[in-house]
Amino acid sequence: MVKRYGKVEALKGIDLTVNSGEMFALLGPNGAGKTTLFSILATLRMPTSGSAHVLGFDVTTARDEIRRAMGIVFQEPAIEQRLSGRDNLHLMGLFYGLSPAAARRRAGDLLTELGLTEAADRPARTLSGGQRRKLELARALVTDPKILFLDEATLGLDVDARRMFWGQIRALAAAGRTVFFTTHYMEEAEVADRIALIDSGRIVALDTPRALKARVGGGVIRLKTVDDAQARAWLTARGHVPEPGLQELMLLHADPAAVVPELLRELPVKVQRVEVHEPSLEDVFLKLTGRGLAGEAPGPVARNGRPGEGGAR
Amino acid sequence: MMRGIYAVVVLDLKRFWLDRARVLVGLLQPLLYLFVLGSGIGASSQLGAGDYRRFIFAGSMGLTLLMTATFAAISIVFDRQIGFFKAVLVSPVPRPAIALGKILSGAAQAMVQGLVLLPFAVLAGLPLDVLKVIEMLGAMAVATVVFSALGVAVAARFTSVTVFPIVSNAMVLPLFFMSGAMYPLAMAPRWMQYAAHLDPVAYAVDLMRGALLGRFFFAPALSLGVLAVFVLIVTGAAVRVFNRGEDDSALGASKFNWRR
Repeated sequence: MVKRYGKVEALKGIDLTVNSGEMFALLGPNGAGKTTLFSILATLRMPTSGSAHVLGFDVTTARDEIRRAMGIVFQEPAIEQRLSGRDNLHLMGLFYGLSPAAARRRAGDLLTELGLTEAADRPARTLSGGQRRKLELARALVTDPKILFLDEATLGLDVDARRMFWGQIRALAAAGRTVFFTTHYMEEAEVADRIALIDSGRIVALDTPRALKARVGGGVIRLKTVDDAQARAWLTARGHVPEPGLQELMLLHADPAAVVPELLRELPVKVQRVEVHEPSLEDVFLKLTGRGLAGEAPGPVARNGRPGEGGAR
Repeated sequence: MMRGIYAVVVLDLKRFWLDRARVLVGLLQPLLYLFVLGSGIGASSQLGAGDYRRFIFAGSMGLTLLMTATFAAISIVFDRQIGFFKAVLVSPVPRPAIALGKILSGAAQAMVQGLVLLPFAVLAGLPLDVLKVIEMLGAMAVATVVFSALGVAVAARFTSVTVFPIVSNAMVLPLFFMSGAMYPLAMAPRWMQYAAHLDPVAYAVDLMRGALLGRFFFAPALSLGVLAVFVLIVTGAAVRVFNRGEDDSALGASKFNWRR
């Protein structure tokens, strides 16, 4: 799928499948094409060429079918700040074709479900940032969506509020919903089942967070045993390559989390301590896009990896 | 479809209610026109201050309805960026329902503003009776729908809040000045009379003036016919814009501006 704005090619050929029921993250720097791809899938824009289907429906010809089955939390607020949360949800219900009575019931249910009952009747603008985001989420849930789109949904929230927000999202995903989200908080993307890294209008990588990190050269396993020499010999015999010349045992592995249980089970010497270091997604992105590591590249990629800095705009 | 229209109207009227103080502020402009401009210009016109005030009451009413309806339409521009409307655009509401709902709610808001102004007709020297009021209300209803449809059709094309008021002023003021709201078209130069034939505001104001004074510049049937056709065309245009959605190239470009 390609999307052009005039001469600017925002998406240069995207080929992507998101599985039903998974949490899927779209990760990339500003201007990479995240919002454009998001807007196309959310029926707000049309692809210039190529096509996309959401829940089996074409995003250009079956928009209403998709709209009925999806919920969106935008980066920007999409609630009426002067109206109460209850009024907002009630109105949204009307927009989804509920009768006034059904819309009112749905609003009440959602407010209870998301723990917003106390704040429900105050004008939305008087709520805290975290509550307002919850209200946005409630709004997105009015239609009981099969797929939930989140576009930088936690931008500007403090750590606690973000944790709570993601807790709720995980619960929704566990209930069988597909969640498609963009973020540039790298650690938020970790909750995804799979991540697509997007850069300059192209998907540069698509995999599970763990496998993505493995591309950097895997993770690091550090072992402390009662007899390191014997452990080293055993590891070498098993085809592992412990880093030579160190006091401790250090092992580079493509997928350390998968191999550690086996090592612990089968190592013939007693293990006193084991540590696993994983490379961060930021490392992965920097490696894949060929931009230097943090410090070398003061661009948006390096900055956005850290919360707090990326949030201020 | 009907539920969609209902939802848009309920949303807008709820907000209008929050802003109800604006109705009083909205009285200021027409009253200035009526009693300050009207008395000043009237004193120096052939009509005399009293007659002139009676004459321009329909004009100030036209201005009020035009301004209120246009202002209501501006909410589309705001909303699409950082408001409830963004969520509405991803809901399965039929796009024509959004356009029609916006037109109706704009008309309703203008009507409320107009109703508040109407009693001042008596102060302007226009005695009201039941028949006149009924005729006037009918004319106002027509005018509000016309102005609101025009406002929505124009507003729906813009995403930039800063550009729209400029365009709207460039559109609203000429339409108002050419309409004969502030002067009798019958006494105006020929070319202005011709121009007025192209101005929907002229027909709408003439209908209202006729209801109050009993004298029409255009035949009422002609006015109603022209306005009906105009509303159909403009509503069609508004529906088309909403159908096209956010994917206008102009909208696409400005999408990146509101991140600031």
